[in-house]
Amino acid sequence: MNQDLILVINPRSIYTRVAIYENYNVLFLKDIMHPDQDLGRFSHYLEQVNYRRDKILSELDNNGICLDCIQAVVGRGGLMKPVKSGIYEINDAIVNDLKSAEFGDDYVNLGGILAKEIALLYPNLRSFIVDPVTVDEYHELARFTGHKDFEKKSIFHTLNQKAMAKRHAKALMRKYEEMKLIVVHLGSGISIGAHCHGSVIDANQALDGDGPFSPERTGSLPVGDLIRYCFNSGKSEAELLDMIHYRGGLFSYLGTYSALEVDAMVNNGDKKAEKVFEAMAYQVSKEIGAMFAVLNSEIDGIIITGGIANSRWFVNKIIDRVSNMGPVHVYPGVMELDSMAQITLSAIRGDEEILEYK
Amino acid sequence: MKTCTNHILVINPGSTSTKVAVFQGARSMFQQDIIHSEEDLASFDKIADQYEFRKNTIISVLKNNDIDLTCIEAVMGRGGLIKPVPAGVIEVDEKLKNDLRNSPIGEHASNLGGLIADDLANNIKGARAFIANPVVVDEFDNIARVAGHPLFERKSIYHALNQKAIAREYAQSHSIPYEEVNVIVAHMGGGITVGAHRKGRVIDVNQGLDGEGPFSPERSGHLPIGQIINYCFSGDYTEKEIRKMVTGKGGLVAYLGTNDTRDVLSRSLRGDDKAKLIYDAMAYQVAKEIGAMFTVLHGDVDAILLTGGIAHGQDFTNLIRERVHKLAPVFVYPGEDEMKALAKIGTRVLTGELKPLKY
Repeated sequence: MNQDLILVINPRSIYTRVAIYENYNVLFLKDIMHPDQDLGRFSHYLEQVNYRRDKILSELDNNGICLDCIQAVVGRGGLMKPVKSGIYEINDAIVNDLKSAEFGDDYVNLGGILAKEIALLYPNLRSFIVDPVTVDEYHELARFTGHKDFEKKSIFHTLNQKAMAKRHAKALMRKYEEMKLIVVHLGSGISIGAHCHGSVIDANQALDGDGPFSPERTGSLPVGDLIRYCFNSGKSEAELLDMIHYRGGLFSYLGTYSALEVDAMVNNGDKKAEKVFEAMAYQVSKEIGAMFAVLNSEIDGIIITGGIANSRWFVNKIIDRVSNMGPVHVYPGVMELDSMAQITLSAIRGDEEILEYK
Repeated sequence: MKTCTNHILVINPGSTSTKVAVFQGARSMFQQDIIHSEEDLASFDKIADQYEFRKNTIISVLKNNDIDLTCIEAVMGRGGLIKPVPAGVIEVDEKLKNDLRNSPIGEHASNLGGLIADDLANNIKGARAFIANPVVVDEFDNIARVAGHPLFERKSIYHALNQKAIAREYAQSHSIPYEEVNVIVAHMGGGITVGAHRKGRVIDVNQGLDGEGPFSPERSGHLPIGQIINYCFSGDYTEKEIRKMVTGKGGLVAYLGTNDTRDVLSRSLRGDDKAKLIYDAMAYQVAKEIGAMFTVLHGDVDAILLTGGIAHGQDFTNLIRERVHKLAPVFVYPGEDEMKALAKIGTRVLTGELKPLKY
């Protein structure tokens, strides 16, 4: 069965998650940690490519995994041109767009770059990305902001949202393409998508656009106040972008990125933590309500997923506000790796069309 | 000696017009919507500079219509952008005037209401000047104040006067006190605000002035914040220019060059696809905000009320209704009730039923 080994790479800010799948089973899974003293040498995540690549290679080597046996490498898809949902073979166009950061500057871009770098080392090793964060299935009304110079872009946790929605549909023995679902991804970023018959027709722009605040990000801020702040705070553009991307939300209020830590603070009676955590649930609920209207108030269910879905307190605060819209299903955690591996497997077996990025 | 009772003069300055009316109780005796042309207003740099111009226009309109002002006991001005206040009526004093002139949070035509009201009242023997339910009425639950970063806070700025008047009207017609109903009110005028009214208190509403919620004829509503930051630092625009994109030249004006929703509808009916799309998008965004407020009220909503000038357009209200009618019954109260609302509040003050607050 050696012919179907797949290496999966999902880079995060301070670690790189790698896995080897054989058929549909995980053979090996590891979070390769990148301590501060390592990452401190780099001023930008793009400079970390060789470092992270070598870390991955030596980790695999140490565990006796030979890359010669692997058929495909799949990386988490980053910020590129808007594309349709599916699997893409990594070509120069993808690598160039990820490296240029023209479509967004975030470490998620390392996924495709690392996959390609590793594939280049071995003949016949193919590399892919699946459902990058810029998958765009918006309907036309969702693109408007409130000014012609601004367009709302589709940037959200496509991979996990779709994987969870499909898993849910399968469990009900229904087709994802025939359901209307609201999917709530609760991770370091938070996105809420309106899934209408297999397409995500609207979602909050979870990177630097709108929606609820999250552990790392501010989400929407009052625009007038933000403009005044830009011109009068003395802060630089980079500082402000950093603030809304990585130093907003829970971190800015409570000094931690860990929602589960906040959950524990709440359990220990920390009133401030409770107020902030509840406000996050409040904003998530409001976004769910907005997507409910997008779907004409007719849905088959609400799916709550991501790491924070492990906090029962948090999830209950949401359910309390949205339960009369439809059944709520909670799937804690993410299945990004499973989904990437499965789709790649189907693709190299010829069961799934491989798309070309231009 | 005044022989007439409960005569009230009402002054309501909007972005492009000033409404003036005389009421006896809730009965309108005279009402005129004074339209200010763009050329007239263009010569003023700041809204506060329009004070003399608008005041003199009002005086001449009253004179031309032979309105006898000696009967007036109360002059009600629409309140403006001042410090957050409780719902109700406030007597105009120096402190209030000072904040109306130098708004602590931003300029708005309604700031002129209290100032002009005070000036007119000073020239009528025995008359007092008030403002009521200004846009800064603040009844937020604390949870609604959290933005997404401690440097920022969500503020309660909305069409409190009309929203409250319509919510009361709905409650009255259903023989329930306003203090016992849960309603979502969408006020759709030059700006659009959608408020969650829980038992007489507006516990959350999009900050419709500069930066939240749906776009409207003249305002952008929410814009993607990363791109806003990029714009601010691009060096291509001044702070004032960017703020103008948000308030004044956003929304329909930015997309289609008009702030007239009727004009957009007629263009779309004539086959202008772009106009149709943007008309639909505005309704879409209003519906999303209504959906959001539905969760604020835990899904326990007695009615959704659509009001304001845009609610005259049945095509528009139908687009919203399609998306939200399953949430709660939808009622349409087209137009604005602000003049009558101010007069009613004024009457309650003159009869001693309502005590004016001090600013």
